[in-house]
Amino acid sequence: MGRFVGKPIPRIDARDKLRGTLRYVADLKVPGMLHGAVYRSPVPHARLKGVHLDPGFPWNEFVVVTARDIPGENRNPMILPDQPFLAEDRVRYIGEPILLLAHPDPRRLRAAFAHIHLDLEPLPAVYDLEDALRPDAPRVYPPDNLFVKYEIRRGTPEAVFRQPGVQVVEATYRTGFQEHVYLETQGMLALYRPGDDIKIVGSMQCPFYVRNALRALTGGREVEVEQAPTGGGFGGKEEYPSLLAAYAYLLALKARRPVRIVYDRHEDMAYTTKRHASVVRHRTAIGADGRILAMEVEVYLNAGAYATLSPVVLARAILHATGVYHVPDVVIRGYAVATNLPPSGAFRGFGAPQTLFALERHMDFLARNLGQDPIAFRRRHLLKNGQAFPTGEVMQQAERVQAVFQRALEVSRYRERQQALEAWNRQHPNRRRGIGLALFLHGAGFTGSGEKKLASRARLVLLPDGTVEIRIGSVDMGQGTLTVLSQIVADVVGAPLERVRYATPNTRYNADSGPTVASRTVMVVGGLLEQAGRRIRHRLEAALGRPLEKPEDYEEAVHRLFEAEPTALEITEAFRLPPGVEWDEERFQGKAYLDYAWACYVAEVEVDLTTYQVKPLKFVAVQDVGTVVNPLLAEGQVHGGVAQGIGFALMENLEVKDGRFVESRLAEYIVPTALDLPPEFEVEFLYRQGDRPRGLGELPMDGSPPAVINAVVHALNTEIHRIPITPSKLWHLLHPEAPR
Amino acid sequence: MKGRFLINGETWELEFPPEATLLEVLRSNGFTEVKHGCDDGLCGACAVLLNGKPVPSCQVLAATATDQPIVTAQGLGTVHRPHPIQKALAEAGAVQCGFCTPGIVVSTYALLQKTPDPTEEEIRHALDGHICRCTGYVKILEGVRLAAQRWKRAK
Repeated sequence: MGRFVGKPIPRIDARDKLRGTLRYVADLKVPGMLHGAVYRSPVPHARLKGVHLDPGFPWNEFVVVTARDIPGENRNPMILPDQPFLAEDRVRYIGEPILLLAHPDPRRLRAAFAHIHLDLEPLPAVYDLEDALRPDAPRVYPPDNLFVKYEIRRGTPEAVFRQPGVQVVEATYRTGFQEHVYLETQGMLALYRPGDDIKIVGSMQCPFYVRNALRALTGGREVEVEQAPTGGGFGGKEEYPSLLAAYAYLLALKARRPVRIVYDRHEDMAYTTKRHASVVRHRTAIGADGRILAMEVEVYLNAGAYATLSPVVLARAILHATGVYHVPDVVIRGYAVATNLPPSGAFRGFGAPQTLFALERHMDFLARNLGQDPIAFRRRHLLKNGQAFPTGEVMQQAERVQAVFQRALEVSRYRERQQALEAWNRQHPNRRRGIGLALFLHGAGFTGSGEKKLASRARLVLLPDGTVEIRIGSVDMGQGTLTVLSQIVADVVGAPLERVRYATPNTRYNADSGPTVASRTVMVVGGLLEQAGRRIRHRLEAALGRPLEKPEDYEEAVHRLFEAEPTALEITEAFRLPPGVEWDEERFQGKAYLDYAWACYVAEVEVDLTTYQVKPLKFVAVQDVGTVVNPLLAEGQVHGGVAQGIGFALMENLEVKDGRFVESRLAEYIVPTALDLPPEFEVEFLYRQGDRPRGLGELPMDGSPPAVINAVVHALNTEIHRIPITPSKLWHLLHPEAPR
Repeated sequence: MKGRFLINGETWELEFPPEATLLEVLRSNGFTEVKHGCDDGLCGACAVLLNGKPVPSCQVLAATATDQPIVTAQGLGTVHRPHPIQKALAEAGAVQCGFCTPGIVVSTYALLQKTPDPTEEEIRHALDGHICRCTGYVKILEGVRLAAQRWKRAK
């Protein structure tokens, strides 16, 4: 703990947000600006043979851009080179961008859409991932509709399954698509400057991803990209803003004027990325003593029409598939399946919520099937120090898992509540209460090889006036980066907090600290800033001739340092993998993540047997994320992540019909409000002296859905294998004989 | 068409298309603290006080809102002297991305004007029209409770 680190400091940017004076991209007033819009495919799959503009329409009022206007490559540079910025001869999902328009009056844009005609030759389409895997399925991505398939293997599970006396238990778990509903919709502004020097300003998590996309689009230009204050991201503004920036850029380039594109809520919900719907099949071999001997897990993700980030989402999904348990013989297979839907993408948890829902439900399901207590069953299978994960990584933090497990049982008074609720149910014929739990982990940062490839850099600049400026690409999208990184820097440099300034993330002036994703910012980027800050402190202390101790020492040291020469002191640190972190990304063997966060969540719920509504009554979240830089903000991350997890489990239903998401307005897609959350909510962080931060943002999304659903299963004594379980779905589950 | 709008205690003569919503008129005249969240009156980001009552301004035809007091988040407190509600919400950690925040501020103001000592139920119902995707509402509720205590004491 320092002067600032570890303290519940209110966020630095709160005041501007509370008055509404902070300007998001849609709030910026730009003289001469045009409004841009995207014209999209009305069909899920077709050959695009021509685009015709009604000759009677006054097109000279508009700027019109098609794929032919792209100066560089018409390929978004992601993991696979499959996604065009604008469709050329084929469309693969409803809503795929074909043409761009800009006009000074946004209302004229919609009118123009009616005067665009497409020459389309329809092709068969497929939306369900299981349908897409059939041999006769329409081909979205040749030859087999698989963007990637992966396998993690340890031991010889096939042999174990064939052993005599082994009991095999199987179950399949399904999770639906989920929409981010960041409250600020996607928005991007391209500012035109002479010499086609266009600057991009917008809502985004990863300014350098946007720069890379524009480099491909322009055939090598270094376009300046700057983050605007961002109203929530949750992964939804990881890769998608690259496309929107490309569209704004192309329109501004052709118009030679500034262009802004801001999606309305419907457009945002209907066509931007979603959490991958999943199917996870568990086959488990149980020995005569009731122990898990082997597991086979198959993970299928519905990736939509283009690969985007699906290969890495799938990697994280399978790396979390057996969680904190020891499975001596195991095989985990993963498949990212192509369908004719808008591409799925990053969403808080990044594949882990899908496999951890399946696993933590399956642990309860196995225990119930075997007549064992779910708590004792989990405890029996916890990885001990020295035992290996499926990747061969050796567990070294078993006591931390035991500690969060134990503490969550204590805080929730699990055993006592379990009995009390069962007694309560006997008194209340029309309502059922239950308690459930999930024990889980989240790998912090990219995989080992991912962080090595990113080779993030972070820069601190000490200005002669004593301001310490943080110049990085990591953004604050609401999660609090601005505040917590400032706390870290203030402490390590020895500066007052108000002397630290967080420079607006910008690709021209700041160091590329990597994307603001994967719960990596405090751990990885904060670590680099600490190194840089330590070097600044050395210089200050050398100038002062003694250690910085009292707060007023700082100004004195600054004065002395710059007395001779008032030149800013600039320190940039680059990430290097710590020794011993090796990751073989082909074989999925080695140390997968730099570190892990561990947690145990407990939920109590009530099910109304008249309305079939599930009401969370109480939530206990105990986690070990290492040092907590700011408890106030950290608690907020847990509350918010759990709320999204409760929505994912109980409310946020997103169905597909004829290639469209049915629920594409907030009137249809229901997210939790203040009335839907548990009235009692306890959050506890466990950590030890000398700990470092280990990633927090995504963790609460992983464990809350299975905790809530295990509580519903306890309440109803009925297995649930699919989420979300809305009231009508719950009714059908309990009335299997009823017609649909 | 033209109309007179009474916004945050000032009178504005504004020109606007007849089909414009109050949200559009406010935003296009610089009141960008009123946020555009969903078009359906369901997210609460565009909430303003119209005659002291919180309304989703995206559902109000501008022509029907002339000559009546309108209050936005900027109408409460100043840069150097934030309103006690704004202070309490900041301290409680009720702000994350900030996009829902101006709407929540005005709804809280309306609640505490009418009900200085609200029950838990009353607070939750007052905020039910607001979606916050970041906080899980826990710290927003704490902030409103804190604001109520302080405001009561200040009165």
